[in-house]
Amino acid sequence: MSGSTRPSSIRDLRTWVVAACLCALTSVWMAGGGSPVAAEEATADALFDDSRLHDIWIRVNSSDWARLREGYLENTYYPADIEWQGQVVRNAGIRVRGRTSRNGQKPGLHIDFGEYVSGQRFLGLKSLDLDNLWQDPSMIRDRLAMRVFLRMGLPAPRESHARVFVGSGREFAGVYGVIEVIDKLFLARHFGEDDGYLYQYHWQDPFGFDNPPTSLDWYAARFDPRTHENESATALFAPVRGLAQAIMDAPVEQLESALAPYLDLRTYITHIAIDNVLSQPDGLLGNLGMSNFYLYRFEGSTRAQMIAWDQDLAFEDLDAPPPTKNFDLNVLAQKIWASPELRAAYLEALVDVTLAIGPPPGTPEVENSLTRQCPAPAGQPACGWLESEIFRMHPQIQEAALADPLTPHSDEQFDEEIQFLKRFARERGRIVRQYASEVDPERVDVALRTASDRLQSRSRRPR
Amino acid sequence: MVKGTLATLFVVAWLLRAASPAFAQAEALGPGAREQAIERERERGLRVEFDQRPSIRVDGVLRLDVRLISQGDWRDLSTPAHDTDAAFDLQRLRLGIDGVVLRKLEYQLEREMRDRRDPWRDAFVNLRVSRAVEVQAGHFKLPFSLDQTTGSKGLDFTDRSLAASYLAPGRDVGVMVHGSTRGSTLGYEAGMFRRGGKTLLLTDDPIAASPRTVAGRLVLRPWLPSTPKALRALSLGLAATAGHVPEGLNGVRGRTLAEDVFFDRVYVSGLRRRVGVEMQWRLGPVSAQGELISVRDERKNQGIDDQDLPDAVSRGWYLSGTWLFTGERKKGTIEPTRRLSRRGFGALELAGRVESLAFGSDVAEGPSARGPRAPRMVETSDSVVTTGVNWYLNEFLKVQADLARELRKDDGRVIDNRGRSWNRTFRVQFAL
Repeated sequence: MSGSTRPSSIRDLRTWVVAACLCALTSVWMAGGGSPVAAEEATADALFDDSRLHDIWIRVNSSDWARLREGYLENTYYPADIEWQGQVVRNAGIRVRGRTSRNGQKPGLHIDFGEYVSGQRFLGLKSLDLDNLWQDPSMIRDRLAMRVFLRMGLPAPRESHARVFVGSGREFAGVYGVIEVIDKLFLARHFGEDDGYLYQYHWQDPFGFDNPPTSLDWYAARFDPRTHENESATALFAPVRGLAQAIMDAPVEQLESALAPYLDLRTYITHIAIDNVLSQPDGLLGNLGMSNFYLYRFEGSTRAQMIAWDQDLAFEDLDAPPPTKNFDLNVLAQKIWASPELRAAYLEALVDVTLAIGPPPGTPEVENSLTRQCPAPAGQPACGWLESEIFRMHPQIQEAALADPLTPHSDEQFDEEIQFLKRFARERGRIVRQYASEVDPERVDVALRTASDRLQSRSRRPR
Repeated sequence: MVKGTLATLFVVAWLLRAASPAFAQAEALGPGAREQAIERERERGLRVEFDQRPSIRVDGVLRLDVRLISQGDWRDLSTPAHDTDAAFDLQRLRLGIDGVVLRKLEYQLEREMRDRRDPWRDAFVNLRVSRAVEVQAGHFKLPFSLDQTTGSKGLDFTDRSLAASYLAPGRDVGVMVHGSTRGSTLGYEAGMFRRGGKTLLLTDDPIAASPRTVAGRLVLRPWLPSTPKALRALSLGLAATAGHVPEGLNGVRGRTLAEDVFFDRVYVSGLRRRVGVEMQWRLGPVSAQGELISVRDERKNQGIDDQDLPDAVSRGWYLSGTWLFTGERKKGTIEPTRRLSRRGFGALELAGRVESLAFGSDVAEGPSARGPRAPRMVETSDSVVTTGVNWYLNEFLKVQADLARELRKDDGRVIDNRGRSWNRTFRVQFAL
């Protein structure tokens, strides 16, 4: 009896052991990063995951790549297969992008996944921008600035960095910014709707809402429709003209109520406050008038919102004197400044941005910036959010950036710019608050005391 | 449009006037003077005639005929790319001369007056060594496709077939040897040309980049006198071209009747080979005609990874038939038995054609895509059924009305919304 029981127990034990091994193997296989299941389930979030440096392989015919670089001023599409994390999208279209950053050495690229295959998407995206970071020796300005917009509750494109490889030989073509395109998918994610009118503003000449022209052609040349492209000029541009005219006509005393049907002034104020704190010479309050933004007019409404774009030139000047830099070039900014209530809102927004990027007021200065670490060791001044972001991004791209064969910037410039940005992050908030205090110390004092609630409110805004 | 029509009328009037200046003067002198003038000119060997067209002749030395074709189209293209408003367009105003020098050397020079960019059409000389051997040199149509090489005066429809329009090479500069046997049992044409013809314009500098194209055509009527008449009315033809196309977006582009691009150029590099077979049958007032054309382009190193891609293949065919139900004999130029100017009605002809033009690649495996470097391209086709009426008022004036139903398909499926369309064309053509 016992002799027959023992073998049975052993068989049961073997069965359990085999079953356990199979389960363990299955779990390991399922958890593997390169598993087919994981790859298929990847989304755009993974592509814009900025906790790592991505690799993107653009497989393009060598003749096409040569033509694209040679004809970099054209917007001609060329077919390419795009590979990321083992996933391949075939027959996408690539073309050169950018305005002042256009060049044939290291071309910025726009990838349209549906250019040759109607309706094709990659990770749910219709298109993608690869920023050549041509004007930014640090290579992180744009991504850093967009993080600030998002932190302040404003819509902004998601960004990460990638090493881009080109051709069948997988030649390293440099470090690029991977930038979310502002399109219907972006609108749906941020506004919960996507059927309004979206325009990309193309700078032609200095404009700040002063004496808006009546010709719709004038607006058509500047506001490039990205939705409803085939509608009539009147449907597309008359409301833009209406917005400009309303800004021009609105009396300072009732500015907010007069513009309420057209613009959320508080959001606009936050936007220009960010531009000022980040010393952006090429944004809504640019040195040559407005630039680098999208305009979105909501569905069935005349109300619109501006969306930040292309912040490669931000962080220009640590000592740039807000709060009124370039206000003289913009009618709306002038009217905001002339209105006591809105001026106070603007000063508050400035303070809020400085607090959002850190470090907190009263943080002592760093004695030796070269040995600075984030998070700061005990006894050292605390790191602010922006400085921490730079400390996170820098090592992520450093090796690839220094190996970038096509960047016009030297290794020394890269290192210097990173050091400058770190200093900017540490000191800019204090400088801005000081300038603001010189205008209205009482208001700034109140703003500092009440900032906590406002910042929580801003970060709670739906994205 | 009005300017073009006025210009046409002016040219016609001038030609008619120029046709007989000597006789006009003679008539002014009174009865008998005309006959005397004719006799004097005959003695000099110089004659100016106006039979089919204005012509200057010096016996045994020179013949110079004036040619003119002018046509206006009224088109109603109900395709999504065009609004449905009908439009009139003076399509053609072509003026030229042709003739022969010393009975051996023929020549032709033709210019499209409305084309300022590339106005010259035929411009060649042809040396007749014998019936079996002639040598032609200059700018003329490559010997390929019956429909493409038929002059616009002899077309049965307002538009050539899609296959002939977009797959046949058209004109180019070259030299050709041609001839035929007695009784035209065998006709041949063989030549070498600067490039691959103008219907397939290249995107890059074609002259610098492309080597020569060779082309040849055989037309057979291998029938014995004892062969039944219905069979002797049949001729069969075979044609081919071969030449290199420069690397680039130089593939064949497909257009619809309304000239919308339905298949865009793809990257090609290497040899372009065309093969065509043709058939023509004419018996009394009835005719039938058909062609099958295939163009195959190599795509060497044209893949995403610079690898060779399967050939791009374009195919087209048509089959057409006509019936002159007023009884005239079908030939190149229809001469109505009862001309309109002689209180007749002219000649009436019914015509019908089915045709197809398709593009794809020489591979059946893998996913299909539209990209210009896709290994397997989406099979794209355009099929057309055309019915028409031709009214020959006299040997100079022709009125044509065509109704065409067009059907576009991708991968064998009719394209939603844009796949079906109607085209109506009405043409008035004056030709000398």
